[in-house]
Amino acid sequence: MEAIIHNLKLSWFSIKRAPLPYALTLLILSLGLGTFFSNATLYYWMNRDPIPEKSQTLFMARINSLPGDCTDCLEPSRVMSYMDMQKMSGSGITSAEAAMFSSDAYAKTLENQQATPAKVALRITQRDFFALFNVPFLYGEAWPDNKARMEVVISKNTAVKFFGRIDVVGQDMLLDDQLFKVIGVLDDWSMLPRLYDVNGRRSAEPTEDIYMPLETAYDLAIQSNTQNSFTDVDWDGNIATYPHMARTNFANMLQFWVQLDGPEKIQQYQQFLKNMVADEKAAGRHPRPEGNRLDNILDVQKAMRATNDQLDAFALVASLFLLVCVVNASHLSLNRYMANQYEFSLRRALGASRWQLQGQILADVFVSSALAFVAALLFARLGLWTINALLPGTRALASWDWQMLAVMAVFVSLVSYLVTLYPALKTSFSPLNQQLKQ
Amino acid sequence: MSVHLIFKSLLRRKVVTALLLLQLAVTLGLVVNSLLLAGAARQLVEQPTGLELEQLLTLWVKPTSAAMRLEPALSEVINRQLAAVRQMPGVDSVAYANQIPLRQGGSNWNIFEQDRQDETNIESVPYYNSSESIFQVLGIELITGRLLTELDRGTTNIVMTEKLSRQLFAEQNPIGKVTNNGVVVGVVSDFFSQRYASDAFYGQILMAPLHRAEQGYHLIVRVAQGQSDTVRKQLTEVIRNAEPQMDIGTVLRMDENRDEVFRSEIGLATLLAVLSGLMLLVAMISAYSHAHFHALQMQKEVGIKRALGASKARVLLDVLSESWLTTAIGAGFGILVCYGLNISLAKVISIPAVPVWLPLLTMVLLLLCVTLATWYPARIATRISPATATKTL
Repeated sequence: MEAIIHNLKLSWFSIKRAPLPYALTLLILSLGLGTFFSNATLYYWMNRDPIPEKSQTLFMARINSLPGDCTDCLEPSRVMSYMDMQKMSGSGITSAEAAMFSSDAYAKTLENQQATPAKVALRITQRDFFALFNVPFLYGEAWPDNKARMEVVISKNTAVKFFGRIDVVGQDMLLDDQLFKVIGVLDDWSMLPRLYDVNGRRSAEPTEDIYMPLETAYDLAIQSNTQNSFTDVDWDGNIATYPHMARTNFANMLQFWVQLDGPEKIQQYQQFLKNMVADEKAAGRHPRPEGNRLDNILDVQKAMRATNDQLDAFALVASLFLLVCVVNASHLSLNRYMANQYEFSLRRALGASRWQLQGQILADVFVSSALAFVAALLFARLGLWTINALLPGTRALASWDWQMLAVMAVFVSLVSYLVTLYPALKTSFSPLNQQLKQ
Repeated sequence: MSVHLIFKSLLRRKVVTALLLLQLAVTLGLVVNSLLLAGAARQLVEQPTGLELEQLLTLWVKPTSAAMRLEPALSEVINRQLAAVRQMPGVDSVAYANQIPLRQGGSNWNIFEQDRQDETNIESVPYYNSSESIFQVLGIELITGRLLTELDRGTTNIVMTEKLSRQLFAEQNPIGKVTNNGVVVGVVSDFFSQRYASDAFYGQILMAPLHRAEQGYHLIVRVAQGQSDTVRKQLTEVIRNAEPQMDIGTVLRMDENRDEVFRSEIGLATLLAVLSGLMLLVAMISAYSHAHFHALQMQKEVGIKRALGASKARVLLDVLSESWLTTAIGAGFGILVCYGLNISLAKVISIPAVPVWLPLLTMVLLLLCVTLATWYPARIATRISPATATKTL
């Protein structure tokens, strides 16, 4: 213990003797690490598996059913129609399945009808949504089936915001002037990246406030606020005919998710889609080439072309910058050790073993790591702040948890050791005579 | 000092030199590619839009009551809002529309000439459902035919941009041609419509009945020159007073919409510029400390040289030329790195190819930075008096 304290003291003295070169080395190292960490943070949140316990079983299904005889159109549309959804559901192969889209509405409570309604984010979906993505309920439960009903499930924050408490099952609220009953309140829940809906590169957005049955939304003519694609739709815009029009035309806005437990089920469902498309073609529908897609939840950002390319490009550059900084810091630290070489040699002449000198160097690494870690975190915060200000849709991706901090600390220590390794070896293993002669 | 001697001295310190060269090479590669991206982003932002950006204010609104989003209440609300805005001092004209120009994406329809769908179909052409004042507000000019008036509301008459008309009908007279979306009655000058439409300058304008505003609608205000700030300050209040049950977005000037459209590109270019600046700084620190350290190490050598009659200027030049040589060699490797990095970046984002002059220019910049950083340590080296330096010999 005493030896360690002695070594740490020596490190401190050596820093104090030439503070400028040391400060410069530290600055360069932590600048590189900070930039790298800020980028790695964003990259981690964008590309992590948000639901590791079942991500292997979740798939988004699409078919290439749009009208128009187009032989080059091999890629299905990003969003599906109501008719597609009906054809893809009810296979008996999936353990859970739900179609969905995002929308918004203005909400208020019955007690507070005079208040200005507040905007809320809606997820229009079906019963199995909550089972698919392991959404935890605090009170109440999901709808018993997929039929239309004026009932909603709301998030915990929404309950607090509108009612001031969380047990609000059975309460009524107004959504766009329509009366709904709250049948469930969710526990705190988030999914980052929000992989169940990445269309429009919205994967960094928070989960929704209110969940409404799909059939009800069609009846009330609620549309998607992300993508509505009408193909060959002849509609005069009359709201009374919307529910029928939207269910029987290529008014595409749905994403359809299924849970398939195991490779056998995946294969069966693929075959089911194949047979279904063959039947459709035989019936004179589905004019485009077969283009069934079953994308795993972890590949869905790529499949929907929703990856953040700017972030990827910056990742490449930030890694290069780290390389430059590490190279530079080791160069500077080599200079520093060379300047101290005489002192090392003198210690060895007085009887210190090479391994005792290594102990001294490890103490140096420890001090540098600690200082570099703190400085790198500061630079990383600054970097994240800059990136958030400059690149859209990155604000939600800037937080650290303990695990990440631990990984960063280990990484800093490794890099510090690497930076010190060659200089240390060079100084402690150089010929003693030559050094002392100088 | 001869180049040969400098080489020898560099080879004596292989690891240090290799580290230095690697760092210089990567720095050059990064700076070149950042400059390229910055240039490309600038070109995107500064391209002509066909609109007077500083004179246009835009605002998204949506009635918070569902009933007010349907006709006839909707038209009544819009008219009330338009009338209120028109009376504001500094306002030239105002229009509503389902969407505004200069956006990433929005509401599009395909368009083709009737009976010639196979040859003329164009996917994804933005459409503007608006009022007759839209032409005056956007400041777009009539090229041929006529503009739409309130009498066209509810008919299928459409007006399109010149570029779209040329694509659809080539050199033929477009007036009176029938498309799947209506009859062409006029052609107007091009304006930047949607970035990711089939073409950014395609647009079709019509005056269909409104029916409903489920996604809200936009108000576009043309203000007198220099009045945008004054009008902008009051606009939200005026809209709120005209109808309180309204969700009101942020008032944006058209050039702010443009910056929003290209935000990813501008953002990345700025980030890389910051990083390039940091890299140059790192290169300068490294050159500084390298020269400083060697000035101390070479004290005796410098002293002997001075004693043998080398002038201060000569010693200065010796130290500097070593820096120059390493920088030049490093930058030489850097040209390889810069093409390599360009190819890797092109796989994830769109980036122009490297023109020959750019690496050379960057090399000069790098040399300049390194010279600046080496200057002070080199000066110190020259100050060593021959007597002091040779005392220990």
